[in-house]
Amino acid sequence: MADTPEGALTGYRVLDLTDFKGAYCTKLLADLGADVIKIEPPEGDPTRRMPPFAQDTPHPEKSIPFLFRNAGKRSITLNLQVPAGRMIFQRLIEKADVLVETHPPGYLEELGLDYEALRGLNPGLIMASITEFGQSGPHRDWKGSAIVDFALSGVMIESGFPEKAPCNLPDMPAYDATSVMAALSIVLSLYDRGITGEGRFIDVSVRENARLAIYPWAVTIQSYATPPGGPPPPPESRMGPAVFPVYPCRDGFVRIVAITPGQWDGFLKALGNPEALTKPEWRDYLYRIVHAKELYDNVVGFTMRYSMEELFNAGHRFGVPIAPVYDVAGFVGSPQTKARRFFVPMNHPFIGEFAYPGPPYKWSETPALVRSSAPCLGQHNEEILGGELGLSKTELAALRFAGVI
Amino acid sequence: MRHAPLEGIRVISMGTGGVIPDCGKTLGEFGADVIKIESRANLDMMRSFGADINSNYGFNEINRSKRSFGVNLKTERGRALIRELVKISDVFAENYRVGVVESLGLDYENVRRIKPDIIYISSQGFGRGGPYTEYKAYGPLMAAASGLLRLWAHPDDPYPVGSNAPVPDHFAAKHAALAVLAALDYRRRTGKGQFIDLSLVEVGANLIGVYYLDYTINGRINAPRGNGNPWTAPHGCYRCKGNDQWCAIAIFTEDEWRRFCEATGHPEWARDPRFADGLSRLRNAAALDKLIEEWTLQRSAEEVMNLLQSAGIAAGAAQRSAEALRDPQLVHLNAFVELDHPSVGKRIYPNVPFKVSGMRFPPSRRAPLFGEHTREICRELLHLSEEEIERLKGEGVLEE
Repeated sequence: MADTPEGALTGYRVLDLTDFKGAYCTKLLADLGADVIKIEPPEGDPTRRMPPFAQDTPHPEKSIPFLFRNAGKRSITLNLQVPAGRMIFQRLIEKADVLVETHPPGYLEELGLDYEALRGLNPGLIMASITEFGQSGPHRDWKGSAIVDFALSGVMIESGFPEKAPCNLPDMPAYDATSVMAALSIVLSLYDRGITGEGRFIDVSVRENARLAIYPWAVTIQSYATPPGGPPPPPESRMGPAVFPVYPCRDGFVRIVAITPGQWDGFLKALGNPEALTKPEWRDYLYRIVHAKELYDNVVGFTMRYSMEELFNAGHRFGVPIAPVYDVAGFVGSPQTKARRFFVPMNHPFIGEFAYPGPPYKWSETPALVRSSAPCLGQHNEEILGGELGLSKTELAALRFAGVI
Repeated sequence: MRHAPLEGIRVISMGTGGVIPDCGKTLGEFGADVIKIESRANLDMMRSFGADINSNYGFNEINRSKRSFGVNLKTERGRALIRELVKISDVFAENYRVGVVESLGLDYENVRRIKPDIIYISSQGFGRGGPYTEYKAYGPLMAAASGLLRLWAHPDDPYPVGSNAPVPDHFAAKHAALAVLAALDYRRRTGKGQFIDLSLVEVGANLIGVYYLDYTINGRINAPRGNGNPWTAPHGCYRCKGNDQWCAIAIFTEDEWRRFCEATGHPEWARDPRFADGLSRLRNAAALDKLIEEWTLQRSAEEVMNLLQSAGIAAGAAQRSAEALRDPQLVHLNAFVELDHPSVGKRIYPNVPFKVSGMRFPPSRRAPLFGEHTREICRELLHLSEEEIERLKGEGVLEE
């Protein structure tokens, strides 16, 4: 990693015992330069079995969910179920700043690798445990999944069309949202440790964090709508078509967010001021929400005359926020995406050349970067266990033979 | 004695809408002194959505644990006061349209001249640079432009509508707070500040990074999947008893499938050749979903969830707020906090959602009224006399 520029977290070492639930957390830290060592069981992180696969070929190095969330990390294999594996792990802990793990509550304790045991080896250790429902409480042992956690987050009941089933947000938003919160709590603790010297244990549940990092307002809205004083509660239902309407156009769809009367006027200008739409009541956002269906039927004939690009540009010109509803190809090909160099070319030994989506921010001093593609299973065993811990080639061979690495 | 992890850190927040206000709140809840710069002439858009400028739920949620400094930035003296505050601040955060901070002389280059080690974060819909950088962009539009919205639909929906929740605003806000914290730590170690340029559309794209790799590697443009999962069944959100009640259920292993059939009282499903193994269940997912929904329709979403979770099955109700507020686990986690606010009274807000051993977070403070701390900040931080404060107020420089 010496050939890539320093990141804000360069110099910190993170041990990564996460599966897909927390992999975005350690990816965020790796993007910022932390040395993230992914510790996988000898058969590999179960995410490596998760479809889809590169070239549609099931293979441990070709899982796309694995490739995305493990970019920039190093990988070693270690069997924590056997004493020799745990001893190596403990030596790694001595030199680590952070440990992130996603095992069910109590699992690491059974192995003697819980925070109390590990802080004895390294008092400054910051350990974050990401669990579905938290380390304690009546639902501690409940099971989650991407869709289940999204349902519980409170956003799903508001997603989709009102007459149909609530609609899932694609991929794993609850886990990724939790992962951002976990990363945030870890860096906060690192900053604090720089002043106080204190190590920390951080308990991060998907249950609580997904709600906060995807959409924290649902409960507050309800609370404000409860008398005394508030207006009647809004229906906690699927209002998307009325609130943030999407209209078909010549080559796809656009979304319009016209809130102020001025923005609505801009929208009409963007459509060439059609007389059929100049009813004055429609300048009022709440009126439009209530009469969404009628509005949609009236607008659609006009939006269909234009392309996404034309409406997008007209919106900018006339002061109404309009955005194209890109598909993945549309976003990749957009001049904005290209100008920002968002996608970064990478070479992978089993896949060849392809482009990674980059981090969502540019840093002036310490770039945030996808510094390398996701590691192959145990790719860094020799470098880390041999080079850094000083195990000889014969010892490494013996460990492999014994199923430790 | 330190009382909070970000004690001693001061943040100047020129935020509107979602991202930078929520970022500032997050830092404020960790103990930073977050000063929200406000002006009636250019109000945070969220203030305009309430019964009055102090009463909007969204504003009052993501502007907690801050102070409000009312100052008219159209006046040179107002801008000079901000420059004075910058000298004693650590972080400058803004999310106005590109060009606004430049016109105020408060862009990164100018701010760093006053405070060389400042950490300056800008958040714009399309980020800085590029042909669309000046395009106005709210969160829901960035769901559209990032490719996320296109996938957030059922396969048979007429068009992708996503949600009335402004995704990815809050997700982006947490990325912004993470960036500020990492930059603060870097500055602690090296003395160097820097400029961070966050793009909301790129945050949205990271939420569907897997779909981007499927495209850049396999050339595939996926159709929306709704609640289905192409690799396992049953997997969906099922209608339950009552008005618009739903429960998500996800089954991944044969063991879970058998337990599901037991728990639902339908052991015969496990013996049905249509559902005997994973591949058969995938092929007959529609028939299976129909049977499952007949079962869920007899029970409330909460009952379905509790019954299946007791059997070790991943199940979760599509909860509404009232259910969240009495959810035993959220109650146990202390997920909510009640704060009293002079305009709106006692209302409920989300708490800091993680626990850090031995680390104390200051109690959450209600959102400030417009200009509530103008005088306090003038006295304490700018060392202005009462006469001067009155004069500046009279001249329309200070607002409250």
